[in-house]
Amino acid sequence: MTDLIRFDRVSYRYPGGQDVLADVSFAIAQGEMAYITGPSGAGKTTVLRLIAALCRATRGQIVVMGQNLSTLKPRHVPAFRQRLGLVFQNFNLLYDRTVFDNVALPLVIRGYAHADIGRRVRAALDAVGLLGKEKVLPLTLSGGEQQRVGIARAIVTKPALILADEPTGNLDPEMALEVMRGFARFNEVGVTVLVATHAIDLIEAVPRRIIHLEQGRITDKHPLAASKLKEAASHGHR
Amino acid sequence: MAIAEAGLERPNWLARWTQEHLRVLFFSLGKLARAPMAAALTALVIGIALALPAGLFVAVRNLSTVGYSWQESLQISLFLKDSVSDERGKALAREIGAETGVARATYISREQALAEFRELSGFGEALDLLKDNPLPPVIAVTPARGQTKAEVRSLLARLSQRPEVDLAKLDQQWLERLYAVLSIAEHAVGIIALLLGLAVMVIIGNTIRLDIEARREEIEVMKLIGAPHSFVRRPFLYSGVWFGLGGGLLAWGLVALATHLLDAPTAQLAALYDSTYRIAGLSLSDGLALVAAGIVLGWSGAFATVTHRLAQIEPR
Repeated sequence: MTDLIRFDRVSYRYPGGQDVLADVSFAIAQGEMAYITGPSGAGKTTVLRLIAALCRATRGQIVVMGQNLSTLKPRHVPAFRQRLGLVFQNFNLLYDRTVFDNVALPLVIRGYAHADIGRRVRAALDAVGLLGKEKVLPLTLSGGEQQRVGIARAIVTKPALILADEPTGNLDPEMALEVMRGFARFNEVGVTVLVATHAIDLIEAVPRRIIHLEQGRITDKHPLAASKLKEAASHGHR
Repeated sequence: MAIAEAGLERPNWLARWTQEHLRVLFFSLGKLARAPMAAALTALVIGIALALPAGLFVAVRNLSTVGYSWQESLQISLFLKDSVSDERGKALAREIGAETGVARATYISREQALAEFRELSGFGEALDLLKDNPLPPVIAVTPARGQTKAEVRSLLARLSQRPEVDLAKLDQQWLERLYAVLSIAEHAVGIIALLLGLAVMVIIGNTIRLDIEARREEIEVMKLIGAPHSFVRRPFLYSGVWFGLGGGLLAWGLVALATHLLDAPTAQLAALYDSTYRIAGLSLSDGLALVAAGIVLGWSGAFATVTHRLAQIEPR
């Protein structure tokens, strides 16, 4: 088994009736890192939500880490989600708890021993360069630091798969590049990483395979940087 | 690098369970300590709601104790026919006194009755106007202790069958009325306890619901990173238990305070009736049952609300 994620002719339609994904098929191999790109509303986030079992495909099969998601029972969803590391654009931290408590949460949910949790959390914070900030509340941190707390929380359980939805959307370019390099480093030690983004410059700086969506379908086109949009328009590219 | 570290072993389920419950215990207590006024007010409302049925229960139980002690001083009066002589009357009293179910039978002659009446009624001078003594001889029968109502009644029927007896009377109608009222009150306590128990659940449920709404984002995040329902639910259940415990203890305190305040006036009232009766408050086991009821209501109110709300909160 080398495919960690496999989409087989997957469609997704909002309960309202609007099609978001149509006939999408792709596979991500174990240990691969890939980007999902495309304009807003192309379905990038929906792909990640489907993988994380936050919603269910209207048609088609999705297999993630050997689990067919269409047969996943609702009561087994939490256990499945515990095997993923999720990173969000808006960080999704708990703002009334310290950095340490935020990062420790996935381990607390699993019921690890106190001493082990402390060791693991410090290791994860060390990996994102926030070792000195354990006792700080997230709101006193910069956006980049908050996102690194979010990443530390995603990697603290050592998941085989990290899903990141616009992880750099709220960060300045320098911070964004640092975060993307961080994902590449996790990937180098064997973690499969899937990042939804439209930060073209970052993709160019950390190049990996690209899955490009447009209007809910995978296309061969590639995302364009803002500086090249005009040029492309004059060539009739778009 | 941290990520390359080997995976950890989870402790066994008992250790996990203990650690998790200890964590939530301190977490929920900490949360209460951060908003002590709000928590105290909620507990007070619950305490009052629980104190009402508990107080009624105490009142009803005291009244039935009083009623029972009166029943023991109950007497059957046998009014004898005028033709019965003093000697026959005394002999009859001895006979009846020996019967089963009878504690004592005292013969009161016409003269004794007249003298007593003259002394106690205040109508002594009016009696002087009468030529004859209008009072019949009486045998006062005290039923044995611990007789049931039916037994006393059959004794009454038996005694009234005797040829010497003109009229047998058991003045217990007022007592039956008291018991009827008490039985209504007992049922009322049950109904009120049920209604206020529901009210406690609603109060706790509403408090928890507000708490859930305030922490909606937190719950979403927890679900996002794979927290099962039981994990998200646990702190809220603990909150419900704390509210119920606090309310139960407060209710116990309120009832104890009320009985303490009523103790002196009741003793005074009882003294006027030549009684040493003292009001009885909640016993230790009653109090513990009250607190336990608070905890159970708190837990179930929280459980119902959380289960209902959590199903609606899904991560976006």
